[in-house]
Amino acid sequence: MGQLTQFAINGLMSGAIYALIAVGIVSVYKATKVVNFAHGYLIMFGAYFYYTFAVIIPGQEWAPSWLASWEPVWLVEMKEGLPMFSPMGAVLDWVQNVPRIIFGIIGALIANAIVGRIIERTLMRPLMGQSIFAMIMVTVGLISIMSGAASIIWTADADFVPHIAPNAPVRFELFGSTIFLFGADLVNMLIALIIFGGIVLMVRYTKSGVAIRATAEDQSTAYSMGISVPKVFSRAWVLASTTGAIAGAILATRNGISPSLGLFGFSVLAIVLMGGLDSYIGVFLAAMAVGVMEAMTQWQLGGDWAEIVPYVAVLAVLLIRPHGLFGSKEVERI
Amino acid sequence: MKLNRRSFLATTAATTAVVGTPMILKAQPSEYVLGASLPLTGPFATAGQLVAPAFQLAAKLFNDEGGIAGTPIRFVTEDSGYVPQNALANYQRALATEGNAMIGYFADSTGAMKLIAPELKGENARIMGSTSFASELANPETHPYQYMSGPSYQSQFDILLENIAAEGGKSVAFIYSNTEFGRDPIEHGKATAERLGIEVVLEEATKPQGADIPTHVTKLAQSGAEYCILQGYVTGVWPQLIGGARQFGLPTKFKGTFWGMEKIIADRITKEAGPFLAGYEGVMPYRYFWDREDAPRYQQYAALSKEMFAGTPLENYMSTWAIQTMCGLEIAMKAFRDTAEAGLELTADNIAEKLTNISDWDTGGFFGGPVTMESNSIRTGRVYEYDTESGLFNPKSDWLTV
Amino acid sequence: MINGNLKATYAADERVLNNSYKQAFVYGTMLALAFFAAFANEYMILIACKMGILLIAVVGVNILTGYTGLVSLGHGAFVALGAYTVTMLDNGLTGIIPNQFMFFVVVPIAIAVTALIGVLVGLPSLRVKGLYLAVATLAANFIVIFLIEQDAFAPWTGGVVGIDTPDANLLGWVLDTNREMFILISVVAFTSLLAAQNLIRTRVGRAFIAIRDRDYSAEILGISLLRYKLTSFALSAAYCGLAGAMFAFFYSRILPEQFELDLSLELVAALIVGGMGRTMGPVFGVMVIVMMPEVIKVFAAYFTGGDAASARYISPLQEIAFGLLLVFFLLKEPLGINHITDRILRAANRWPFARG
Repeated sequence: MGQLTQFAINGLMSGAIYALIAVGIVSVYKATKVVNFAHGYLIMFGAYFYYTFAVIIPGQEWAPSWLASWEPVWLVEMKEGLPMFSPMGAVLDWVQNVPRIIFGIIGALIANAIVGRIIERTLMRPLMGQSIFAMIMVTVGLISIMSGAASIIWTADADFVPHIAPNAPVRFELFGSTIFLFGADLVNMLIALIIFGGIVLMVRYTKSGVAIRATAEDQSTAYSMGISVPKVFSRAWVLASTTGAIAGAILATRNGISPSLGLFGFSVLAIVLMGGLDSYIGVFLAAMAVGVMEAMTQWQLGGDWAEIVPYVAVLAVLLIRPHGLFGSKEVERI
Repeated sequence: MKLNRRSFLATTAATTAVVGTPMILKAQPSEYVLGASLPLTGPFATAGQLVAPAFQLAAKLFNDEGGIAGTPIRFVTEDSGYVPQNALANYQRALATEGNAMIGYFADSTGAMKLIAPELKGENARIMGSTSFASELANPETHPYQYMSGPSYQSQFDILLENIAAEGGKSVAFIYSNTEFGRDPIEHGKATAERLGIEVVLEEATKPQGADIPTHVTKLAQSGAEYCILQGYVTGVWPQLIGGARQFGLPTKFKGTFWGMEKIIADRITKEAGPFLAGYEGVMPYRYFWDREDAPRYQQYAALSKEMFAGTPLENYMSTWAIQTMCGLEIAMKAFRDTAEAGLELTADNIAEKLTNISDWDTGGFFGGPVTMESNSIRTGRVYEYDTESGLFNPKSDWLTV
Repeated sequence: MINGNLKATYAADERVLNNSYKQAFVYGTMLALAFFAAFANEYMILIACKMGILLIAVVGVNILTGYTGLVSLGHGAFVALGAYTVTMLDNGLTGIIPNQFMFFVVVPIAIAVTALIGVLVGLPSLRVKGLYLAVATLAANFIVIFLIEQDAFAPWTGGVVGIDTPDANLLGWVLDTNREMFILISVVAFTSLLAAQNLIRTRVGRAFIAIRDRDYSAEILGISLLRYKLTSFALSAAYCGLAGAMFAFFYSRILPEQFELDLSLELVAALIVGGMGRTMGPVFGVMVIVMMPEVIKVFAAYFTGGDAASARYISPLQEIAFGLLLVFFLLKEPLGINHITDRILRAANRWPFARG
């Protein structure tokens, strides 16, 4: 029972990150009707940007030394005499890294927003009104372009990136067995949930959110009501790429930076279709469910089985409910 | 259009006779070619990019020594991205363009070795070395043209497990990447552990890159293993696993095999994330580059590196991976030269015979003493421990033969 | 000038090669291939073999995506099934069936098996379309490869480690060189191309096209969606199975990872670049997709002098070029190279009169 709780919590933590990734796909789909197969690679770019701004730039000679490691006197004093790997030590390590973490996140947000804008302007806008097939395949082409570009720019597989939150261990007894949790993971989960919730509220209650929903409903009507549809498009892409940057930064700290981060896009795509493309709630539930199922599979069957959980789940759901759990059925006219 | 084997061969033979392509005429080539696939991109790019300069160094060194009996040697290195089929494509392309001038090939993964192995037959056979220590390759019966420049991963596991048993360890966890490279010694390791009375409390396969570290560390924590052997990683995953375990405060002792024993990676981790790797041990078949007092060959390398890579980090240090590749190339060169000196044609069969018969060979570095090829592998190694203060791997055992 | 194109009977109009140009083209190609087999150097043979194998599979994808309008991002799995079925059958039947006849037994069975599994994978296509089908097939691809890799099946499939494949043996003629394999592959590829061209002028082919243009309209016209969508899936899977069989005979060993998503995407990309729903589309597409990385490699070697340090930029450049090619054709020339050649041929045909 204790073990079960342990893996359920692990699952919820990765589910929250899936949800954060998924929100980018759903937002772009709602606004532009484009399903972005390359979203995982946008996240990979976010991860590499975080690495660039939090590790590479502070490591340069010309960068101020407080950026790489902030060492005020009180901090040095506090660190002295602490045993290695103590929870307090982890917090202090994090405090030292705060400047570059902030720099890294801001840098990643801006850089990824620019990448998102470029993609939207050069590739997506000409696609307005094209067939679904053309849209899918353009984003597939984008996958190759982005992964090739990343491997030209960065080689980083051996580097560490600083955790966003203090990575102090959390352990407690539950039902007679010890539960181990990483502090940073709990904070990551909170961040992901807050951003997800914020975006859902924004789409529901703010003016630009209403514009996105109106565009999703009917592009030409939205146009004639005075909504600038191109602006909605670019806003959706910026939203996707910035949430992607956060997700990328989190994944970089959890899983290490590597080109394979792009593959998360495919499993999240499966999750999105499972939940229903245009339903935030459905996607959230699907993300959490897949996260927990993956953790359970990992526990019982081992790491390799966990990889196909999202795909099996999406096939099962699509056979029973062709438009996902909460998706709206398209009405076709001949 | 009727074409059977005979008429086809007749046509081809006639054509070649007329056109004079070197397909059948076996003239002595003006230079020999040794092809290589390296993971310059992909999950192990850091390693591949550190190994690539070794080929430049080798080309200069070997040609200055007169190549193979006076004929110069040229290296053709290509990128495989650590994808076996790309390595196969590179091999096939090199074979098709270089023909008989290509006398050997160097592959970058266990997968590539196994994928190319069945292609090596008849006219297309070439001597093949690699970065892999996969156990299956150490078998001249099934893989006559492939050799290993060290002990197999299975032997390395045996050394580590015996080490654990000697320290009185009772339980061990195996964490490995879900690749051929990672899976290779696992079954054998379980058998050895059972023989030594060590319980294998966890067998965990992870992705070779981008693995879900928190979950794997949780499983390790839940298993309560005293020792953990990591296999199948190069630059990623294993440092994060150890880091995660240390942050959790787990007392588990970590051990690794050859690919997890690189100073550059260990130093980078210590610099970025603290002294996680204190007490980390592993098997390494070679001397580290700084241990070159009585190693004349290493001194030659050092002198050449200073000259060729001045101003780069490679100037003063050669990575373990580059050392492995150099060792592989030295073995191949020894076999080529032995064959040429014996006055034999440089065919794969002749070279393979010379290669299997290498015995009591003083490499002038690399190993503790003279070595002998046994089942196309060199069965020696040493346990080293990482010291976070000095950033050096210090020997913890004598040279062991397995 | 357009001439020699007069049809006096319906039979003449309905022939596969319905004008003298097409006949000349087909016979000319056969001759060219024969010359190629005899004279091309090893390198060209190698590339041509790869093209031939890919071509067979792309012809299959064309039937499904180009003619029936169903998107699949999972056809790499069918190639895998073909390759593995051939290998496993060959291993299992050694000693039962004499080696000379093995080829003629295992290849048809492999085709049948993949067609059957094609029907199975095609089942969701009755309920979902477009994007949903794309993701469903993609998921199927992941699952098939995963199953092949499982240790439980390793005694038959070899697992992650891969498995050695047999040489093709045609009535005692063992095809153990690339040149001999090229003859087999080119004959098979050529025949499958002609068969596909023939298919679309039959009742079945017309039904496919009707479904592509509007599936509900087709249903109202009396075309059974169930039957024809599944037929289309079965046929295209069968082609991919055949390609897989050739793949197994051409290479000495196969690994599961060779048939992952990359292959599936390459198949669809080749189709888009060449031209969907056209017989020659796959041919052009495969040529471009296979040649492009080779050309980049040659150019890079020319400019950098084969320097090892710059070798690391080649494969990312190939990747980027692949993506750009796909995006370029989708945005600028959605009908593919076939459309470009159409325009050129039309202009040549009308010369010296107005083009257009």
